[in-house]
Amino acid sequence: MLDGEPLVRWHWLGDHLGYLADLTADHAVIALVPVLLALLLAVPLGLACARFPRLYQPLAAVFNVVYALPSLAVFVVLIPYTGLATRQTVMVPLTCYALAVLLPTAVDGLRAVPEPVRQAATAMGYGPWRRLAAVELPASVPYLIGGLRVAAVSSISLAAVGALVGRGGLGYLFVDGFQRTFPTPILAGIVLVALLALATDLLLVAARRVLAPWERGAAR
Amino acid sequence: MNWLGWLHDFFADPAHRSGPDSIVHRLLEHLAFSAEALGLSALVALPLGLLIGYSGRGLFLVTAVAGVARALPTLGLVTLAVLLAGVGDTAVLLPLTALAAPPMLVAAAEGVRGTDPDVRDAARGIGLTHPQTLLRVCVPAAAPTLLAGVRTASVQVIATATVAAYVGLGGLGRYVIDGLATRDYPTTVGGALLVVLLAVGVQLLFALLIRLAAPPGTRPGPRTRARRTGGAAPLTPTDPANPPALVKDAP
Amino acid sequence: MIRFEGAAKRHPDGTVAVRGLDLEVPAGRTTVLVGPSGCGKTTILRMVNRMVEPTAGRVLLDGTDVAELPAAGLRRGIGYVIQQAGLFPHRRVIDNVATVPRLLGWDRKRARARAAELLELVGLPPETARRYPAQLSGGQQQRVGVARALAADPPVLLMDEPFSAVDPLVRAGLQEELLRLQAELGKTVLFVTHDIEEAVRLGDRVVVLREHGEIAQLADPHTLLTAPADAGVAAFLGRDRGLRGLGLRPAGSVPVAALDGRIAYEGWQLVLDPDGRPEHWLRGAERHPAPVFVPSRDSLRSALDAALLAPSGHAVAVDAEGRAVGTASRAAVVEALAATGPVGAPLPEQVPHAGR
Repeated sequence: MLDGEPLVRWHWLGDHLGYLADLTADHAVIALVPVLLALLLAVPLGLACARFPRLYQPLAAVFNVVYALPSLAVFVVLIPYTGLATRQTVMVPLTCYALAVLLPTAVDGLRAVPEPVRQAATAMGYGPWRRLAAVELPASVPYLIGGLRVAAVSSISLAAVGALVGRGGLGYLFVDGFQRTFPTPILAGIVLVALLALATDLLLVAARRVLAPWERGAAR
Repeated sequence: MNWLGWLHDFFADPAHRSGPDSIVHRLLEHLAFSAEALGLSALVALPLGLLIGYSGRGLFLVTAVAGVARALPTLGLVTLAVLLAGVGDTAVLLPLTALAAPPMLVAAAEGVRGTDPDVRDAARGIGLTHPQTLLRVCVPAAAPTLLAGVRTASVQVIATATVAAYVGLGGLGRYVIDGLATRDYPTTVGGALLVVLLAVGVQLLFALLIRLAAPPGTRPGPRTRARRTGGAAPLTPTDPANPPALVKDAP
Repeated sequence: MIRFEGAAKRHPDGTVAVRGLDLEVPAGRTTVLVGPSGCGKTTILRMVNRMVEPTAGRVLLDGTDVAELPAAGLRRGIGYVIQQAGLFPHRRVIDNVATVPRLLGWDRKRARARAAELLELVGLPPETARRYPAQLSGGQQQRVGVARALAADPPVLLMDEPFSAVDPLVRAGLQEELLRLQAELGKTVLFVTHDIEEAVRLGDRVVVLREHGEIAQLADPHTLLTAPADAGVAAFLGRDRGLRGLGLRPAGSVPVAALDGRIAYEGWQLVLDPDGRPEHWLRGAERHPAPVFVPSRDSLRSALDAALLAPSGHAVAVDAEGRAVGTASRAAVVEALAATGPVGAPLPEQVPHAGR
């Protein structure tokens, strides 16, 4: 099939370093800005769900369905609203996917505070909202970061599909390589996507160590 | 932006009513191909996962594989497979099968591992052999978790099969890809809608199966641990603070 | 002072937790609510800080119905200690203790300084301050819990089985510590426990509860042990009440024979160290520890115990510094017992198998 084309043409990589860097940066924006947006939405939504538990079940059901929707189909359906080959077409669905992961982890995290801790807080004179903000929310940070890790890694790999609707960051390398029967960019794309995911994951692990120092103590 | 118009155009098109490009044919292609990938994958992943979960060995490997699999771009794997192995369904089957495996592997391992150790001890105590304990005690107890894993895998396969239309695979993805190529918006949107319906339908089917598989009395109530037994988000980690992601966060 | 006036709690499903309680909890003393699980003691406790709202009657705090006070403000003025400590896992120990002062608007520096004082007060080393709760033992966590409850110097302290989750040795230490603190601080303490031993040890007054928060007996520990109101209370108190009652009588009445040069009974000789503290009893090559009691502090029970354990049959009386001041024979201790009159008062009814 490759007709003598080598799997990797190293000099192509050397010649296109700047190009690859640009695509990686674009990919990071397309994939990770939605995760941050989802985090900004998940925290207040999670707080509301923790305060009013009846809210959670229907919301969880909706996001469950959203999560199961194939990304390409969702990108395509959005094109009339957000346009072909725009970032929004890809970023809006990715935000929804990330929210589908983050909302349950946020709610779980807020609920994970042991009952005696909650009681003690109430007995010391915290009102319900203040208690959520001062006790449950900080205690849920490890959960939130766990959710962020899953959401971010998924988002980075899903964003590549956006190339089929004209905006996919590193995903463009797959389309380009396929059309030219040229495997080098495809391999480069796979490796760069995986590396970006790995780097993000490492960053979040580090963030957890800084933001949730009490967990290290508990391990001892 | 005329949805009704587009959908009317799509469903009224005679080519979508009969022949190789008909909706029924495309749907069957999509289902058949997805089932094939899922079935092949389950054949390997489920027994392996059960063994790993029962023995407790290699669990770290399972989470690592799941994390790496999540980080790999499906479009990249599909295009690479076709370039290396040639145009054709067999070439696409490989990455699809590979991508379906991790969720089932994790679910099988975690489901079996999650069965009550006392129950397992009791089973061994009344004289069941290891294989009998696994198959007659652990597997039924883990059935809801197992099914949740199969459901996650099916979502993955259906979505990837749609993407794989780009490299020539049949199925509902054809409408999306062909429509995009020719700027034929009714076809693209119609195809996308069918894919969405298919995904939702499969989800509902699995939700039903999971409910049936849960032993009476252990069925998750509206607010009790619905996620573990499969009531909710497929890829959310079972231990939210330690997701099966890329980096193992432990000293 | 806390006053319950017909305070009752009926759950929405119709079950009655507390039928209607009239009780006065005097200021500056420790009042212990004790009873079997399900007797409503925790519900009663939680009516004080409005964690439970009574469905009938009222609870007065220094004459004011607590229902008229804003819940958050009321709670900031009442210390609360619970079984699992309930420390905030994400905050360092010092910031856990500083919680209420911070809520009351103190600046961080002042709140932390106060917290540091309290950690010292409850006997925790200063390096504990920087730790997280998960790094502490159960007993240490409970101490932090007590420190946190005391941080804003509340006049009232509610304690809900605070020492039930720690092992017996640690529990004894914590009880000792609480007695010491209470002698120093004089809070109005309302303490809930299911452990009658703990109730008798800590309480100035003990309220024995039956089902639905009904008072079976309200008495000081000594009266409770010696004169249970009825067979039910006697059964709850368990065996050996008489002997345990001795634990509440001071040993000061035991006649002590002054030390007079070389002390020896039946061949056993008491050996003192250079400071005058008893080391052991010696007979030939045989050595035995020398049990001691402090007449000004210990109970008759301790004195009797020391006399019974001594190989010579004589307990050694020591002063607060541990220096021997005299000895008391078994006969002398029993004589002191007899002088205090019968340990048990007549029962209102027959108790055939108390303690079974």
